[in-house]
Amino acid sequence: MKYVAIIRQVPDGESKIKVDGGRVNLEGATLILDQMDEYAVEQIIRLKEAHGGEAVVVAFGPERTEEAMRTALAMGADRGVLITAEGYVDPVTQAGALAKVLTEEAPDVVFTGGQQADWDSQALGAAVAEALGWPSVTWTTAFELEDGHAKATHDLDEGAEVVRVALPAIFTTQQGLNEPRYPTLPGIMKAKKKEIKKIDAAELGVSGSKVEILEQQIMELERKQKIIDGTKEPAAAAAEIIKLLHEEAKVL
Amino acid sequence: MILVVMDHDGNELRKGALEGVSRARKLAEALGGEVAGLVVGPGAEGVAEKAKDYVSKVYVVSGPDWEAYTAEKWAKAAHAAAEAAGARVVVAPASRTGRSWTARLAVKMDAALLEDTLDSWAEGDKVYATKYSFLNRVLEKQAGTLPAVISVKPNTTPLAEPAGAGAVEPLAVELGELEKKVEVLEKIAETGGKVALTEAEVVVTGGRGMGSAEAFQMIEQFADLLGGAVGATRAVIDAGWRPYAEQVGQTGKTVQPNVYFALAVSGAVQHQAGMNKSKVVVAVNKDPDAPIFKETDYGVVGDVHQVLPAMIEEVKKLKGA
Repeated sequence: MKYVAIIRQVPDGESKIKVDGGRVNLEGATLILDQMDEYAVEQIIRLKEAHGGEAVVVAFGPERTEEAMRTALAMGADRGVLITAEGYVDPVTQAGALAKVLTEEAPDVVFTGGQQADWDSQALGAAVAEALGWPSVTWTTAFELEDGHAKATHDLDEGAEVVRVALPAIFTTQQGLNEPRYPTLPGIMKAKKKEIKKIDAAELGVSGSKVEILEQQIMELERKQKIIDGTKEPAAAAAEIIKLLHEEAKVL
Repeated sequence: MILVVMDHDGNELRKGALEGVSRARKLAEALGGEVAGLVVGPGAEGVAEKAKDYVSKVYVVSGPDWEAYTAEKWAKAAHAAAEAAGARVVVAPASRTGRSWTARLAVKMDAALLEDTLDSWAEGDKVYATKYSFLNRVLEKQAGTLPAVISVKPNTTPLAEPAGAGAVEPLAVELGELEKKVEVLEKIAETGGKVALTEAEVVVTGGRGMGSAEAFQMIEQFADLLGGAVGATRAVIDAGWRPYAEQVGQTGKTVQPNVYFALAVSGAVQHQAGMNKSKVVVAVNKDPDAPIFKETDYGVVGDVHQVLPAMIEEVKKLKGA
Protein backbone atom coordinates (compact mmCIF):
# COMPACT_ATOMS: atom_id res chain seq x y z
CA MET A 1 0.00 0.00 0.00
CA LYS A 2 1.06 3.58 -0.50
CA TYR A 3 0.10 6.49 1.76
CA VAL A 4 0.46 10.20 1.04
CA ALA A 5 0.31 13.23 3.33
CA ILE A 6 -0.26 16.60 1.66
CA ILE A 7 1.52 19.17 3.81
CA ARG A 8 2.18 22.92 4.01
CA GLN A 9 4.58 25.26 5.71
CA VAL A 10 2.90 28.03 7.75
CA PRO A 11 3.83 30.60 10.38
CA ASP A 12 3.71 29.31 13.96
CA GLY A 13 0.50 30.49 15.64
CA GLU A 14 2.57 31.78 18.55
CA SER A 15 4.72 34.07 16.41
CA LYS A 16 3.72 37.69 15.75
CA ILE A 17 2.73 38.51 12.21
CA LYS A 18 3.23 41.90 10.62
CA VAL A 19 1.78 43.66 7.62
CA ASP A 20 3.83 45.87 5.30
CA GLY A 21 2.17 47.81 2.48
CA GLY A 22 -1.09 45.91 2.80
CA ARG A 23 0.58 42.50 2.69
CA VAL A 24 1.47 40.01 5.42
CA ASN A 25 5.25 39.92 5.74
CA LEU A 26 6.52 36.60 7.09
CA GLU A 27 10.09 37.84 7.48
CA GLY A 28 11.24 36.94 10.97
CA ALA A 29 8.24 34.68 11.64
CA THR A 30 8.93 31.09 12.70
CA LEU A 31 7.76 28.83 9.91
CA ILE A 32 6.66 25.32 10.77
CA LEU A 33 4.98 22.22 9.39
CA ASP A 34 1.26 23.09 9.79
CA GLN A 35 0.09 21.48 13.04
CA MET A 36 -2.99 20.09 11.32
CA ASP A 37 -0.68 18.47 8.73
CA GLU A 38 1.41 16.92 11.51
CA TYR A 39 -1.54 14.65 12.24
CA ALA A 40 -1.54 13.68 8.54
CA VAL A 41 2.17 12.83 8.53
CA GLU A 42 1.83 10.86 11.78
CA GLN A 43 -1.11 8.93 10.35
CA ILE A 44 0.66 7.81 7.16
CA ILE A 45 3.75 6.76 9.15
CA ARG A 46 1.52 4.69 11.46
CA LEU A 47 -0.20 3.11 8.46
CA LYS A 48 3.17 2.17 7.00
CA GLU A 49 4.32 0.75 10.35
CA ALA A 50 1.14 -1.31 10.72
CA HIS A 51 0.60 -2.50 7.15
CA GLY A 52 3.91 -1.95 5.31
CA GLY A 53 4.28 0.03 2.11
CA GLU A 54 5.50 3.55 1.46
CA ALA A 55 4.77 6.91 3.16
CA VAL A 56 5.21 9.89 0.83
CA VAL A 57 4.78 13.60 1.57
CA VAL A 58 3.52 15.89 -1.18
CA ALA A 59 3.26 19.67 -1.08
CA PHE A 60 2.31 22.64 -3.24
CA GLY A 61 4.08 25.81 -2.14
CA PRO A 62 7.11 28.06 -2.30
CA GLU A 63 10.68 26.66 -2.29
CA ARG A 64 10.94 27.19 1.47
CA THR A 65 8.29 24.46 1.94
CA GLU A 66 11.24 22.06 1.71
CA GLU A 67 12.02 22.83 5.39
CA ALA A 68 8.59 21.60 6.51
CA MET A 69 8.97 18.62 4.22
CA ARG A 70 12.29 17.73 5.91
CA THR A 71 10.46 17.78 9.26
CA ALA A 72 7.94 15.27 7.87
CA LEU A 73 10.78 13.13 6.54
CA ALA A 74 12.51 13.34 9.95
CA MET A 75 9.30 12.08 11.58
CA GLY A 76 9.61 9.01 9.35
CA ALA A 77 8.11 9.62 5.91
CA ASP A 78 10.12 8.02 3.09
CA ARG A 79 10.39 10.74 0.44
CA GLY A 80 8.81 13.94 -0.80
CA VAL A 81 7.42 15.58 -3.91
CA LEU A 82 7.27 19.39 -3.87
CA ILE A 83 5.36 21.35 -6.48
CA THR A 84 6.95 24.78 -6.37
CA ALA A 85 5.07 28.04 -6.88
CA GLU A 86 5.74 31.40 -5.22
CA GLY A 87 2.84 33.58 -4.07
CA TYR A 88 -0.80 32.75 -3.44
CA VAL A 89 -2.48 30.10 -5.58
CA ASP A 90 -6.12 29.19 -4.82
CA PRO A 91 -7.00 25.65 -3.66
CA VAL A 92 -8.96 24.77 -6.83
CA THR A 93 -5.93 25.55 -9.01
CA GLN A 94 -3.62 23.76 -6.57
CA ALA A 95 -5.93 20.74 -6.62
CA GLY A 96 -5.45 20.36 -10.38
CA ALA A 97 -1.66 20.18 -10.01
CA LEU A 98 -1.75 17.96 -6.92
CA ALA A 99 -4.17 15.60 -8.68
CA LYS A 100 -1.63 15.10 -11.47
CA VAL A 101 1.09 14.16 -8.98
CA LEU A 102 -1.26 11.86 -7.06
CA THR A 103 -2.40 10.16 -10.26
CA GLU A 104 1.23 9.28 -10.90
CA GLU A 105 1.91 8.26 -7.29
CA ALA A 106 -1.32 6.23 -7.11
CA PRO A 107 -1.64 6.07 -3.31
CA ASP A 108 -4.38 4.12 -1.51
CA VAL A 109 -4.87 6.62 1.32
CA VAL A 110 -4.19 10.37 1.46
CA PHE A 111 -4.28 12.56 4.56
CA THR A 112 -4.05 16.34 4.83
CA GLY A 113 -4.74 19.02 7.45
CA GLY A 114 -8.32 19.97 8.29
CA GLN A 115 -7.59 23.70 8.18
CA GLN A 116 -4.57 25.71 7.04
CA ALA A 117 -3.00 28.02 9.62
CA ASP A 118 -2.18 30.71 7.04
CA TRP A 119 -5.11 30.96 4.60
CA ASP A 120 -7.56 29.51 7.15
CA SER A 121 -8.79 27.35 4.28
CA GLN A 122 -10.49 23.98 4.72
CA ALA A 123 -10.85 23.28 1.01
CA LEU A 124 -7.70 21.54 -0.19
CA GLY A 125 -8.44 17.92 0.78
CA ALA A 126 -11.94 17.87 -0.69
CA ALA A 127 -10.83 19.82 -3.79
CA VAL A 128 -7.99 17.40 -4.60
CA ALA A 129 -10.36 14.46 -4.06
CA GLU A 130 -12.90 15.98 -6.45
CA ALA A 131 -10.20 16.60 -9.07
CA LEU A 132 -9.33 12.89 -8.86
CA GLY A 133 -12.92 11.64 -8.67
CA TRP A 134 -12.15 10.18 -5.23
CA PRO A 135 -14.27 10.35 -2.07
CA SER A 136 -13.16 12.50 0.85
CA VAL A 137 -13.85 12.66 4.56
CA THR A 138 -13.19 15.84 6.52
CA TRP A 139 -12.31 16.31 10.23
CA THR A 140 -11.31 12.69 10.81
CA THR A 141 -10.84 11.66 14.45
CA ALA A 142 -10.46 7.88 14.03
CA PHE A 143 -9.29 5.76 11.12
CA GLU A 144 -8.77 2.09 10.33
CA LEU A 145 -8.21 0.02 7.21
CA GLU A 146 -10.72 -2.73 6.57
CA ASP A 147 -10.58 -5.06 3.50
CA GLY A 148 -9.88 -2.49 0.81
CA HIS A 149 -12.01 0.12 2.56
CA ALA A 150 -11.44 2.59 5.34
CA LYS A 151 -13.66 3.04 8.35
CA ALA A 152 -13.45 6.55 9.71
CA THR A 153 -15.11 8.64 12.39
CA HIS A 154 -15.39 12.32 11.56
CA ASP A 155 -16.94 15.48 12.94
CA LEU A 156 -19.94 17.18 11.34
CA ASP A 157 -21.41 20.56 12.23
CA GLU A 158 -23.25 18.88 15.07
CA GLY A 159 -22.05 15.56 16.37
CA ALA A 160 -20.03 13.02 14.45
CA GLU A 161 -20.56 9.97 12.25
CA VAL A 162 -18.85 6.76 11.24
CA VAL A 163 -18.40 6.19 7.52
CA ARG A 164 -17.13 3.35 5.34
CA VAL A 165 -15.19 4.67 2.36
CA ALA A 166 -13.98 2.96 -0.81
CA LEU A 167 -10.26 3.55 -1.49
CA PRO A 168 -8.40 5.47 -2.79
CA ALA A 169 -9.73 8.35 -0.72
CA ILE A 170 -8.62 11.57 0.96
CA PHE A 171 -9.07 12.28 4.66
CA THR A 172 -8.57 15.59 6.43
CA THR A 173 -7.37 15.66 10.00
CA GLN A 174 -8.83 16.77 13.28
CA GLN A 175 -7.24 16.88 16.69
CA GLY A 176 -7.70 13.52 18.39
CA LEU A 177 -6.79 11.48 15.31
CA ASN A 178 -3.39 10.69 16.80
CA GLU A 179 -0.56 12.22 18.83
CA PRO A 180 2.18 13.26 16.39
CA ARG A 181 5.70 12.11 17.29
CA TYR A 182 8.66 14.46 17.55
CA PRO A 183 11.49 13.93 15.05
CA THR A 184 14.44 12.15 16.69
CA LEU A 185 18.04 13.17 16.08
CA PRO A 186 18.77 10.04 13.98
CA GLY A 187 15.52 10.79 12.13
CA ILE A 188 16.69 14.33 11.38
CA MET A 189 20.06 13.04 10.13
CA LYS A 190 18.39 10.46 7.88
CA ALA A 191 15.92 13.03 6.56
CA LYS A 192 18.76 15.07 5.08
CA LYS A 193 19.51 12.26 2.64
CA LYS A 194 15.92 11.43 1.73
CA GLU A 195 14.75 12.31 -1.76
CA ILE A 196 12.70 15.43 -2.42
CA LYS A 197 11.61 15.71 -6.03
CA LYS A 198 10.78 19.25 -7.12
CA ILE A 199 8.41 20.06 -9.94
CA ASP A 200 7.70 23.59 -11.16
CA ALA A 201 3.94 24.21 -10.90
CA ALA A 202 4.00 25.64 -14.45
CA GLU A 203 5.01 22.21 -15.75
CA LEU A 204 1.75 20.87 -14.29
CA GLY A 205 -0.31 23.51 -16.08
CA VAL A 206 -0.57 26.10 -13.30
CA SER A 207 -0.68 29.64 -14.67
CA GLY A 208 -1.93 32.15 -12.12
CA SER A 209 -4.73 31.86 -9.59
CA LYS A 210 -8.51 32.15 -9.76
CA VAL A 211 -8.44 34.09 -6.52
CA GLU A 212 -6.18 37.04 -5.87
CA ILE A 213 -5.41 38.55 -2.46
CA LEU A 214 -5.75 42.32 -2.80
CA GLU A 215 -5.06 43.62 0.66
CA GLN A 216 -4.33 42.35 4.16
CA GLN A 217 -4.44 44.08 7.51
CA ILE A 218 -3.93 43.00 11.10
CA MET A 219 -7.35 42.63 12.62
CA GLU A 220 -7.41 42.65 16.36
CA LEU A 221 -10.48 43.93 18.16
CA GLU A 222 -10.08 46.46 20.93
CA ARG A 223 -11.31 44.96 24.18
CA LYS A 224 -12.68 46.99 27.09
CA GLN A 225 -10.75 44.99 29.70
CA LYS A 226 -13.04 45.91 32.59
CA ILE A 227 -11.78 43.44 35.17
CA ILE A 228 -13.51 43.05 38.53
CA ASP A 229 -11.80 41.50 41.54
CA GLY A 230 -13.99 38.66 42.71
CA THR A 231 -11.50 36.89 44.93
CA LYS A 232 -13.05 38.19 48.19
CA GLU A 233 -16.70 38.62 47.29
CA PRO A 234 -17.51 36.35 44.35
CA ALA A 235 -21.29 36.87 44.60
CA ALA A 236 -20.95 40.65 44.41
CA ALA A 237 -18.57 40.38 41.45
CA ALA A 238 -21.03 38.03 39.70
CA ALA A 239 -23.88 40.49 40.28
CA GLU A 240 -21.79 43.35 38.92
CA ILE A 241 -20.70 41.55 35.78
CA ILE A 242 -24.22 40.39 34.92
CA LYS A 243 -25.41 43.97 35.46
CA LEU A 244 -22.70 45.27 33.11
CA LEU A 245 -23.64 42.70 30.47
CA HIS A 246 -27.30 43.62 30.79
CA GLU A 247 -27.11 47.41 31.06
CA GLU A 248 -23.85 48.44 29.41
CA ALA A 249 -23.05 45.77 26.82
CA LYS A 250 -26.78 44.96 26.37
CA VAL A 251 -26.04 41.36 25.43
CA LEU A 252 -28.14 39.70 28.13
CA MET B 1 -28.55 33.99 -12.05
CA ILE B 2 -27.28 33.38 -8.52
CA LEU B 3 -27.93 30.07 -6.75
CA VAL B 4 -28.17 29.96 -2.98
CA VAL B 5 -27.99 26.58 -1.27
CA MET B 6 -30.30 26.77 1.72
CA ASP B 7 -29.46 24.76 4.84
CA HIS B 8 -32.32 23.41 6.93
CA ASP B 9 -33.00 20.99 9.76
CA GLY B 10 -35.73 19.03 7.99
CA ASN B 11 -38.48 21.41 9.12
CA GLU B 12 -37.16 24.96 9.13
CA LEU B 13 -34.57 26.93 7.20
CA ARG B 14 -31.45 27.58 9.21
CA LYS B 15 -30.24 31.12 9.83
CA GLY B 16 -27.37 30.46 7.44
CA ALA B 17 -29.86 30.00 4.60
CA LEU B 18 -31.29 33.48 5.13
CA GLU B 19 -27.83 35.02 5.43
CA GLY B 20 -27.05 33.34 2.11
CA VAL B 21 -30.18 34.82 0.49
CA SER B 22 -29.09 38.33 1.55
CA ARG B 23 -25.68 37.80 -0.02
CA ALA B 24 -27.17 36.29 -3.18
CA ARG B 25 -29.57 39.24 -3.63
CA LYS B 26 -26.69 41.70 -3.36
CA LEU B 27 -24.70 39.78 -5.98
CA ALA B 28 -27.74 39.51 -8.26
CA GLU B 29 -28.18 43.29 -8.17
CA ALA B 30 -24.64 43.78 -9.44
CA LEU B 31 -24.42 40.87 -11.87
CA GLY B 32 -28.04 40.84 -13.08
CA GLY B 33 -30.53 38.00 -13.01
CA GLU B 34 -32.54 36.52 -10.20
CA VAL B 35 -31.85 34.40 -7.15
CA ALA B 36 -32.72 30.70 -7.23
CA GLY B 37 -32.55 28.43 -4.19
CA LEU B 38 -31.76 24.78 -3.58
CA VAL B 39 -32.91 22.59 -0.71
CA VAL B 40 -31.51 19.07 -0.39
CA GLY B 41 -32.16 16.10 1.85
CA PRO B 42 -34.79 14.77 4.25
CA GLY B 43 -37.73 17.13 4.65
CA ALA B 44 -36.70 19.20 1.62
CA GLU B 45 -40.20 19.25 0.08
CA GLY B 46 -41.71 20.77 3.19
CA VAL B 47 -38.87 23.24 3.64
CA ALA B 48 -39.17 24.29 -0.02
CA GLU B 49 -42.64 25.70 0.75
CA LYS B 50 -40.92 28.10 3.16
CA ALA B 51 -37.82 28.66 1.01
CA LYS B 52 -39.90 29.79 -1.98
CA ASP B 53 -40.85 32.99 -0.17
CA TYR B 54 -37.24 34.16 -0.50
CA VAL B 55 -36.23 33.23 -4.07
CA SER B 56 -37.68 33.29 -7.59
CA LYS B 57 -37.46 29.53 -7.86
CA VAL B 58 -36.47 26.79 -5.46
CA TYR B 59 -35.04 23.47 -6.66
CA VAL B 60 -35.73 20.43 -4.50
CA VAL B 61 -33.46 17.38 -4.42
CA SER B 62 -34.83 14.62 -2.19
CA GLY B 63 -35.72 10.94 -2.03
CA PRO B 64 -34.18 7.74 -0.66
CA ASP B 65 -30.70 8.54 -2.06
CA TRP B 66 -30.64 11.85 -0.21
CA GLU B 67 -31.34 10.77 3.36
CA ALA B 68 -27.74 11.00 4.60
CA TYR B 69 -25.38 13.88 3.91
CA THR B 70 -22.10 13.32 2.12
CA ALA B 71 -19.94 16.04 0.55
CA GLU B 72 -19.91 14.12 -2.74
CA LYS B 73 -23.72 14.06 -2.99
CA TRP B 74 -24.31 17.64 -1.88
CA ALA B 75 -21.73 18.92 -4.38
CA LYS B 76 -23.43 16.92 -7.12
CA ALA B 77 -26.88 18.31 -6.24
CA ALA B 78 -25.56 21.88 -6.11
CA HIS B 79 -23.81 21.43 -9.46
CA ALA B 80 -27.00 20.09 -11.05
CA ALA B 81 -29.02 23.01 -9.67
CA ALA B 82 -26.39 25.56 -10.76
CA GLU B 83 -26.56 24.17 -14.30
CA ALA B 84 -30.37 24.10 -14.29
CA ALA B 85 -30.44 27.71 -13.12
CA GLY B 86 -27.57 28.83 -15.34
CA ALA B 87 -25.94 30.24 -12.23
CA ARG B 88 -22.50 31.86 -12.43
CA VAL B 89 -22.26 32.25 -8.67
CA VAL B 90 -23.26 29.77 -5.98
CA VAL B 91 -23.67 30.98 -2.39
CA ALA B 92 -23.64 28.50 0.52
CA PRO B 93 -23.22 28.53 4.28
CA ALA B 94 -19.65 28.19 5.56
CA SER B 95 -20.62 25.50 8.02
CA ARG B 96 -18.18 22.64 8.38
CA THR B 97 -20.14 20.51 5.95
CA GLY B 98 -20.68 23.52 3.68
CA ARG B 99 -16.99 24.20 3.42
CA SER B 100 -16.36 20.58 2.52
CA TRP B 101 -18.84 20.25 -0.35
CA THR B 102 -18.31 23.77 -1.73
CA ALA B 103 -14.65 22.85 -2.31
CA ARG B 104 -15.88 19.97 -4.48
CA LEU B 105 -18.42 22.17 -6.24
CA ALA B 106 -15.75 24.77 -7.08
CA VAL B 107 -13.68 22.06 -8.78
CA LYS B 108 -16.74 20.78 -10.71
CA MET B 109 -17.50 24.33 -11.91
CA ASP B 110 -13.79 25.22 -12.35
CA ALA B 111 -14.73 28.20 -10.20
CA ALA B 112 -13.00 30.65 -7.88
CA LEU B 113 -13.68 29.59 -4.29
CA LEU B 114 -14.17 32.42 -1.79
CA GLU B 115 -14.29 30.66 1.54
CA ASP B 116 -15.82 31.65 4.88
CA THR B 117 -16.46 35.21 3.74
CA LEU B 118 -17.52 38.09 5.99
CA ASP B 119 -18.92 40.09 3.09
CA SER B 120 -19.05 39.70 -0.67
CA TRP B 121 -19.93 41.84 -3.67
CA ALA B 122 -19.49 41.96 -7.44
CA GLU B 123 -18.08 44.57 -9.80
CA GLY B 124 -17.61 44.09 -13.51
CA ASP B 125 -16.69 40.48 -14.17
CA LYS B 126 -15.25 39.80 -10.75
CA VAL B 127 -16.50 38.92 -7.29
CA TYR B 128 -14.89 40.31 -4.18
CA ALA B 129 -14.95 39.20 -0.57
CA THR B 130 -13.45 39.88 2.80
CA LYS B 131 -12.36 37.09 5.10
CA TYR B 132 -10.08 36.34 8.02
CA SER B 133 -6.80 34.50 7.61
CA PHE B 134 -3.70 33.60 9.63
CA LEU B 135 -5.73 31.99 12.43
CA ASN B 136 -8.30 34.77 12.41
CA ARG B 137 -5.69 37.48 13.03
CA VAL B 138 -5.64 39.10 9.57
CA LEU B 139 -8.50 40.61 7.60
CA GLU B 140 -8.02 40.24 3.86
CA LYS B 141 -9.77 41.33 0.72
CA GLN B 142 -9.90 38.87 -2.16
CA ALA B 143 -10.98 39.06 -5.78
CA GLY B 144 -12.20 36.03 -7.71
CA THR B 145 -12.97 35.36 -11.34
CA LEU B 146 -16.36 34.07 -12.54
CA PRO B 147 -17.79 31.52 -12.11
CA ALA B 148 -17.46 31.65 -8.35
CA VAL B 149 -18.50 29.71 -5.25
CA ILE B 150 -18.87 31.80 -2.11
CA SER B 151 -19.35 30.42 1.39
CA VAL B 152 -20.83 32.72 4.02
CA LYS B 153 -19.40 32.80 7.52
CA PRO B 154 -22.20 32.35 10.09
CA ASN B 155 -23.45 35.44 11.94
CA THR B 156 -21.97 37.93 9.46
CA THR B 157 -24.95 38.94 7.35
CA PRO B 158 -28.44 40.31 8.01
CA LEU B 159 -31.17 37.69 7.57
CA ALA B 160 -33.21 38.14 4.37
CA GLU B 161 -36.87 39.10 4.53
CA PRO B 162 -39.44 37.15 2.47
CA ALA B 163 -40.03 38.68 -0.99
CA GLY B 164 -43.13 36.96 -2.39
CA ALA B 165 -43.73 33.42 -3.55
CA GLY B 166 -41.41 31.75 -6.04
CA ALA B 167 -41.88 28.47 -7.87
CA VAL B 168 -40.95 25.04 -6.50
CA GLU B 169 -39.23 22.69 -8.94
CA PRO B 170 -38.19 19.12 -8.11
CA LEU B 171 -34.81 18.28 -9.62
CA ALA B 172 -33.93 14.66 -10.37
CA VAL B 173 -30.25 14.04 -9.67
CA GLU B 174 -28.86 10.54 -10.16
CA LEU B 175 -25.99 9.33 -8.05
CA GLY B 176 -22.87 8.32 -9.95
CA GLU B 177 -20.04 5.98 -8.97
CA LEU B 178 -18.32 8.60 -6.82
CA GLU B 179 -21.41 9.37 -4.75
CA LYS B 180 -21.72 5.69 -3.81
CA LYS B 181 -18.22 5.43 -2.37
CA VAL B 182 -19.07 6.83 1.05
CA GLU B 183 -21.54 4.95 3.21
CA VAL B 184 -22.69 6.42 6.51
CA LEU B 185 -22.70 3.61 9.09
CA GLU B 186 -23.58 5.39 12.29
CA LYS B 187 -24.50 8.82 13.62
CA ILE B 188 -23.05 9.98 16.90
CA ALA B 189 -25.20 12.67 18.47
CA GLU B 190 -23.61 15.71 20.00
CA THR B 191 -23.95 15.87 23.74
CA GLY B 192 -24.42 19.02 25.76
CA GLY B 193 -25.90 22.21 24.32
CA LYS B 194 -29.06 22.21 22.25
CA VAL B 195 -27.86 25.02 19.99
CA ALA B 196 -25.34 24.58 17.14
CA LEU B 197 -22.03 25.95 18.34
CA THR B 198 -21.14 27.91 15.22
CA GLU B 199 -24.59 29.50 14.95
CA ALA B 200 -25.07 30.28 18.63
CA GLU B 201 -25.38 33.90 19.74
CA VAL B 202 -24.11 32.95 23.18
CA VAL B 203 -21.24 30.53 23.71
CA VAL B 204 -20.18 29.34 27.16
CA THR B 205 -16.77 27.70 27.11
CA GLY B 206 -15.14 25.91 30.00
CA GLY B 207 -11.39 25.38 30.32
CA ARG B 208 -9.15 23.05 32.25
CA GLY B 209 -9.72 25.11 35.41
CA MET B 210 -13.26 23.70 35.60
CA GLY B 211 -11.49 20.74 37.18
CA SER B 212 -13.75 17.85 36.14
CA ALA B 213 -16.32 16.61 33.63
CA GLU B 214 -18.98 16.96 36.37
CA ALA B 215 -18.25 20.68 36.72
CA PHE B 216 -19.50 21.13 33.14
CA GLN B 217 -23.05 20.56 34.37
CA MET B 218 -22.79 24.13 35.62
CA ILE B 219 -21.60 25.28 32.18
CA GLU B 220 -24.51 23.44 30.55
CA GLN B 221 -26.98 24.98 32.96
CA PHE B 222 -25.64 28.48 32.28
CA ALA B 223 -25.66 27.92 28.51
CA ASP B 224 -29.24 26.57 28.59
CA LEU B 225 -30.37 29.54 30.66
CA LEU B 226 -28.98 31.93 28.01
CA GLY B 227 -30.11 29.84 25.02
CA GLY B 228 -26.46 29.32 24.18
CA ALA B 229 -24.09 26.54 23.20
CA VAL B 230 -21.39 24.81 25.23
CA GLY B 231 -17.76 25.08 24.13
CA ALA B 232 -14.55 23.55 25.46
CA THR B 233 -10.82 24.09 25.13
CA ARG B 234 -8.32 21.64 23.76
CA ALA B 235 -7.12 20.76 27.27
CA VAL B 236 -10.67 19.80 28.24
CA ILE B 237 -11.08 17.63 25.14
CA ASP B 238 -7.70 15.98 25.80
CA ALA B 239 -8.82 15.24 29.35
CA GLY B 240 -11.87 13.47 27.88
CA TRP B 241 -14.38 15.67 29.70
CA ARG B 242 -16.18 16.85 26.56
CA PRO B 243 -16.57 15.63 22.94
CA TYR B 244 -14.37 16.96 20.11
CA ALA B 245 -17.40 18.57 18.47
CA GLU B 246 -17.43 21.20 21.21
CA GLN B 247 -13.83 22.30 20.80
CA VAL B 248 -13.30 26.00 20.10
CA GLY B 249 -9.93 26.97 18.65
CA GLN B 250 -7.44 26.40 15.87
CA THR B 251 -8.07 22.67 15.64
CA GLY B 252 -11.72 22.97 16.57
CA LYS B 253 -14.50 25.34 15.62
CA THR B 254 -14.42 29.06 15.06
CA VAL B 255 -17.25 30.95 16.72
CA GLN B 256 -18.31 34.56 16.49
CA PRO B 257 -21.20 34.97 18.93
CA ASN B 258 -22.68 38.13 20.41
CA VAL B 259 -21.24 37.16 23.76
CA TYR B 260 -18.55 34.61 24.54
CA PHE B 261 -17.96 33.35 28.07
CA ALA B 262 -14.47 31.97 28.72
CA LEU B 263 -14.72 30.29 32.11
CA ALA B 264 -11.50 29.00 33.67
CA VAL B 265 -9.90 29.33 30.22
CA SER B 266 -6.29 30.56 30.22
CA GLY B 267 -6.51 31.82 26.61
CA ALA B 268 -3.70 30.29 24.54
CA VAL B 269 -3.24 31.67 21.01
CA GLN B 270 -4.70 28.46 19.59
CA HIS B 271 -7.86 29.02 21.60
CA GLN B 272 -8.08 32.70 20.70
CA ALA B 273 -8.02 31.79 16.99
CA GLY B 274 -11.44 30.23 17.50
CA MET B 275 -13.11 33.06 19.41
CA ASN B 276 -11.26 36.36 18.97
CA LYS B 277 -13.95 37.80 16.70
CA SER B 278 -16.71 37.44 19.30
CA LYS B 279 -18.56 40.71 19.83
CA VAL B 280 -18.28 40.74 23.62
CA VAL B 281 -15.89 38.51 25.56
CA VAL B 282 -16.46 37.70 29.24
CA ALA B 283 -13.86 35.83 31.27
CA VAL B 284 -13.68 34.36 34.74
CA ASN B 285 -10.27 33.14 35.87
CA LYS B 286 -8.53 32.97 39.21
CA ASP B 287 -5.20 33.99 37.63
CA PRO B 288 -5.18 37.79 37.08
CA ASP B 289 -2.31 37.35 34.58
CA ALA B 290 -4.13 34.80 32.39
CA PRO B 291 -3.71 35.80 28.70
CA ILE B 292 -7.49 35.62 28.23
CA PHE B 293 -7.93 38.89 30.16
CA LYS B 294 -6.16 40.75 27.32
CA GLU B 295 -8.93 39.46 25.00
CA THR B 296 -11.69 40.31 27.48
CA ASP B 297 -14.32 43.05 27.67
CA TYR B 298 -15.72 42.10 31.07
CA GLY B 299 -13.79 39.89 33.44
CA VAL B 300 -13.87 38.59 36.97
CA VAL B 301 -10.72 37.50 38.76
CA GLY B 302 -11.96 34.73 41.01
CA ASP B 303 -12.76 31.07 41.48
CA VAL B 304 -15.18 29.92 38.78
CA HIS B 305 -16.75 27.44 41.22
CA GLN B 306 -17.88 30.38 43.33
CA VAL B 307 -18.46 33.02 40.66
CA LEU B 308 -20.38 30.93 38.12
CA PRO B 309 -23.12 29.69 40.51
CA ALA B 310 -23.65 33.31 41.55
CA MET B 311 -23.80 34.40 37.88
CA ILE B 312 -26.42 31.70 37.26
CA GLU B 313 -28.53 33.06 40.13
CA GLU B 314 -28.18 36.62 38.81
CA VAL B 315 -29.31 35.60 35.32
CA LYS B 316 -32.29 33.74 36.80
CA LYS B 317 -33.26 36.92 38.65
CA LEU B 318 -32.88 38.92 35.45
CA LYS B 319 -35.01 36.48 33.44
CA GLY B 320 -37.63 36.40 36.19
CA ALA B 321 -37.89 40.19 36.21
